[in-house]
Order: sequence, then structure tokens, then C-alpha cells
Amino acid sequence: MLVAKLAFRNIFRQRRRSLLTGLSMGGGYILLALTISLVEGSYNNIINIVTTDHTGHVQIHKENYLERPGIFKTLSRGSGIETLLANEPSVRSWAPRIYGVGLGYGDEKSAPLSIVGIDPVMERNTTSIFGKVREGNYFSDPVNSDGYYSVMIGYGVADMLKLSIGDEIVLISSGADGSIANDIYRVGALVGSRDSYEKMTVYLPLEAAQDFFSMKGKVHEYAVMTSHPSEAWKLTAVLSAIIDDPLVTVSPWQVVEATFYKSMEADKQGNKVTMGIVVFLICIGVLNTVLMSVLERTKEFGVMLAVGTNRLMVMAMIILEIVTLGLLSCAIGFLLSLPLLYWFTHVGITMPQPIDMGGVIYDTMVGEMGAAIFIIPVVIIVGSAAAVSFIPAIRAALITPLDALSDR
Amino acid sequence: MSKVIETSHLCRYFGEGELLVKALDDVSIDVEEGEFSAIIGPSGSGKSTLLHLIGGLDKPTHGEVILAGTNIESMTRSALSNFRRDHIGFVFQAYNLIPVLSTIENIEYVMLMQGVPSSERRKRVFEMLDILGLDGLGGRRPAQLSGGQQQRVAVARAMVSRPNIILADEPTANLDSKTGISLLDMMKDLNVRHGMTFIFSTHDQKIMDRARRLIHLRDGLIELDEQRKEFAA
Ligand SMILES: Nc1ncnc2c1ncn2[C@@H]1O[C@H](COP(=O)(O)OP(=O)(O)OP(=O)(O)O)[C@@H](O)[C@H]1O
Ligand SMILES: [Mg+2]
Repeated sequence: MLVAKLAFRNIFRQRRRSLLTGLSMGGGYILLALTISLVEGSYNNIINIVTTDHTGHVQIHKENYLERPGIFKTLSRGSGIETLLANEPSVRSWAPRIYGVGLGYGDEKSAPLSIVGIDPVMERNTTSIFGKVREGNYFSDPVNSDGYYSVMIGYGVADMLKLSIGDEIVLISSGADGSIANDIYRVGALVGSRDSYEKMTVYLPLEAAQDFFSMKGKVHEYAVMTSHPSEAWKLTAVLSAIIDDPLVTVSPWQVVEATFYKSMEADKQGNKVTMGIVVFLICIGVLNTVLMSVLERTKEFGVMLAVGTNRLMVMAMIILEIVTLGLLSCAIGFLLSLPLLYWFTHVGITMPQPIDMGGVIYDTMVGEMGAAIFIIPVVIIVGSAAAVSFIPAIRAALITPLDALSDR
Repeated sequence: MSKVIETSHLCRYFGEGELLVKALDDVSIDVEEGEFSAIIGPSGSGKSTLLHLIGGLDKPTHGEVILAGTNIESMTRSALSNFRRDHIGFVFQAYNLIPVLSTIENIEYVMLMQGVPSSERRKRVFEMLDILGLDGLGGRRPAQLSGGQQQRVAVARAMVSRPNIILADEPTANLDSKTGISLLDMMKDLNVRHGMTFIFSTHDQKIMDRARRLIHLRDGLIELDEQRKEFAA
């Protein structure tokens, strides 16, 4: 109590200096909170785009499929995985897929394509594919009178093969049983953009793809969604445990999109360096302030020690002073950053050059709000200020009373 | 009666070479419990230095100080600090109050550290304010007090925790004679009733008149150690 009283009064003694130090800490708070909010916000945004665009939060494959994909590395739809997924409460949705390559023929030209079989309903519930349809209808047309399935193609396919809605496309490949696969389909929709990753893809309804590749009842992949990308590792562990099959591999998006994830983490480290510099500058200011105030009050500490004040108490007082000032500054910084962060989170910065991420337009940098974003800067600023003031505090505690008292 | 303070061959030198000042040179005195003694001598004779050494605020160049049977050289820093807090009250020549604390807070400071309960603290503080004529000044900070008022607060701070020994460096120097006398009467009363030991450094005739023993210092040496017969028990 006594320590707190002394500390508090000492803050208001050198008002100007306390104000300056407080400003640097409060400003630092706002800067850190804003940076963290924007960094977390944009990464979460990008992660959301990547995971909902196609990847999902977790994927399930035959073992080694991710390292070396192959048409034979299949999972059987009847193997029980789907029942487990349907019964696992943390699974929000999931979608089965088939992947293959083949040649596509338009009227005059041919081109190599990637062929993806998806379940129209489940895929739509799991990823954002439905929203990326630019022309035509998403698998809504029934098999037509000629028995042709309606398919969806990327813009690269449309351009190269000169195809538009309603045209026929012929696909040729080899089936899983070694047979030659070929069939005619109708272009029902155009998806994505001219430079999205699926520009050379043809999407087939899952059964059509199973027929085409002679893979009845089989799939290559399940994409699974849970509540949030950050839950992916947890869901991976849960699913691995309940599937309990060494030949089946469950991978979180961090593994599936390893390159993306690593470069993002590296980028985050870069941001930490920036924040480190901010903190370092604050620390220099704090150290300067505390050293000065200790020096000025040498005599006072001498008196306190002379009348029997514990040395630890002198230290505690000095550290408490800066901690109190830090908390006050952060509280004010918090109040000031609240509207700023609110604006960043709900309006955001419009980017001068929108980024097209696989047909998903990323044009606004938005921040993130949350307890952590407000608390982390307090911990960093108050913590480092307290750490820095240890040096002057020890110095004050080691004052020899009489040296401090004598004016000579 | 037992010895509360003992100094043997106490020397304190400042500076070196040509600038060497022997502030104290071979001072040996014994102080009995319950003494009411004054160290007197001209300015620069070493009075403050002697009080500082006795209180453990300064270290002697040679010689030793024994407080209540313990050589303070053998005490740890924190033991000495606690000893000072619990057994010695200091009145500094330059009052040395804590600037951010009010009169009342300055006076109760040591009691706070000793953990004296708040009702008892208040009682003793107000008693002191009354005796020293500081009523109405309890809420002021040192900067808002005159020199004499600050000195009275410093005296109150030293005495309020009822230490066994009070070392007072010119406690009446800035007081008018009436306040000085009432302060001395109070000290004398504490001395007689509670057996508190007082050692003053002073130029003040009023103190010299009341002291049972006068230690005359000159140039760091004891010139005369005078027990005054009129006070002999
Ligand atoms: N820290 C110091 N450094 C150098 N010399 C000192 C120091 N402290 C005291 N002295 C010297 O020691 C001598 C004794 O000083 P001291 O303060 O004990 O005298 P005093 O008897 O209390 O004088 P006064 O009556 O003026 O208070 C003086 O010559 C003084 O200059
Ligand atoms: Mg003196």
C-alpha cells in the first residue's frame, strides 16, 4: 500500500516527463495493437480464402497421396470414413473429390486438362466454388437427352478450346483399370477467372468422374471443414484417432499448403522484427526516464534507506512507478485504439491494386478485433518497461544512505 | 545500567593526501542506556560525522561501533537496516523529509514499515502534532512548510516509533525558543519515563543546560567528556 502510494505520487511529480513517457508507451500500444490487428486480420483473411476456396481445413487421403498423387491411391466411399465424418461433431462439412488428367477436345483444338470430380451439393457446402461461377449454372442442368453430363470449365479451357456455355467438350484419359476413358460432356458453367488456378480444370459431377475413370465408389480426397482454420491441427488429431487406419493420412491445411504456410510464417517473423524495433525505442525512452528520475531522487532514496526502508521496497517502488504509468498509458491507448481498430475491422483499407486469389478478389485489408489483440501489447509494453527499469531500480536500492544525504 | 553504544578508536577520514580531513580521530565513548547527552563543539568539529557513524549510516576508516552488544561491522546490510528502523530514530541536520508524503504520512512512515496498527499510528501521530505545535499542518507536503516546521516534522518522525536511541543532529537549530523548550521537555519526558537514550549534537544552550553529559569535540578529537554533577542520580 505504502509502496503503491509513493509510486503513484511520484508519477504525478514530474508531470511533463511522465506525460512524455506515457505518450511513448501509449503511442506504442496503439501502434502494436494496430499492427497485430492488421497482420492477424490479413493473414486470417488469406487463410480463410485459401482454405474455403478449395483446400478445406483438413484433408484425408490414402497414405502418401500428397507427396506423390496417383490415380490408384484411392479411398473407398463405403469404408466407414464418411460415417465417422458425419458423426464427428467438430466437422462442419466435408466433400469427396477425384483428381485426374486428360486431354480435352473442342471443335478444332485439344489441350491437356486437369479433371476434378466433385459432389455438387457437398462441395458447395464446403468450399466457395459456387460463388466463383461467372457464367452459366452450377451443375443445375440435368443429364440431357443425349445422356451428356453438364460440366464446369475454367476460363483457360474455354479460351483454348474456344468453348462457351452449351458447347460440347470431349475428354480422353485412361481409367484406373487401364481402359481408355473417353466421353462427351456439355459445358454448363464457366468458373473462376483467366488467371485463377483452376483455369485449366474441368469439374465433373462425382459420379460422372467415377464412371469416366472407372473408379466406382472410390475417391482420392475428402476436404473437411471445421469451425475455424486454427482448429485444423486439433481436428487432424481427432480424425486420425477415430479413423485409426495406417493407410489413411489426415493432414491439416498447414501441411497441404505447406509452401504457403511457411512463407506466411516467415512474413510474420518479419513483422515481429518491426514490432521489436518499436518496443526497443519505447524501452530506450523508459530507461532514460527512470534513470533520470532515480538520479534526481538519490537523496530521497538515501532518506528512505536511512530510516530503515527495505531495499527491495525501494526497488518495488521504482518498478511499480513505471508499471503504473505503463498501465495508465496502455489504458488510454486502448481507448484511443478502440475506434481505430473498429474501423479497421469493419471497414478496412481498400487496396490500390486488388489481388485476385484464384478467382476470389482480395481487395480490402481488414483488421481483427479480439481480447488478445488488446492484451498482447499491454504485456509487451508493461513487461519490457518493468524489465528495463530493473537496472535503475537496483541502482537506487544500492545507494549508500549517507552518500546520498551529504550535499558535499 | 547497560551500555547501548560503544565506540572504540573511531576514526573517519575524508579525502587523501594533502586534502585529507580527519573528521574524527580516535574517538572512544560509551553511552549508557537512558542517557541524555549532547555532543558540542565548533562547526566542522565532527559532530554530525560521529552521529552518522553511531547510527550505521557511515563506515569508519578505523575503529568500531558496537550497538547493544553487536559490532555493526558484523551485521548484514538488511540486519543493520532493520536495526535502524526498530531501534534508532534519526533527526538529520537537513531534515530530509520525503517530498511526496504529507506531514502525517512522513511521521507515520516508519511505523507503517514496522506494521503498527492504524489506530495506534493515528493516535501517536496526533499526539506528536500536538506536542510540536503542528496542528493543522498534517496534510501539507514538506515543500509547503517552513524550515522550522520541517524540522519539527523530522523530530516527530524520529520519535514517534519510540526507538530506544535517538540521534538528533541539531534538532532545535531552527526552532523558536518556546517550541524548542516544549520539544526538549517532551524528549526529557520520554527519556525519564521510557528510558529512551538521547544523543544530540548542538550549539543550543537550552540543550546543554538539560544534558547530563557534554562531550566536547574539537577537530575530531574529544576535548572533554563532562558528566554534570547537578544531574547525578
Ligand atoms: N562527505 C564528506 N566529504 C569530505 N569532507 C567531509 C565530509 N563530511 C564531513 N566532512 C568534513 O569533516 C569535518 C566534520 O564535519 P561534520 O559535518 O561532522 O561537522 P559538524 O561538527 O557537524 O559541523 P556543523 O556544526 O557545521 O554541523 C568537516 O571538516 C567537514 O568538512
Ligand atoms: Mg553537523
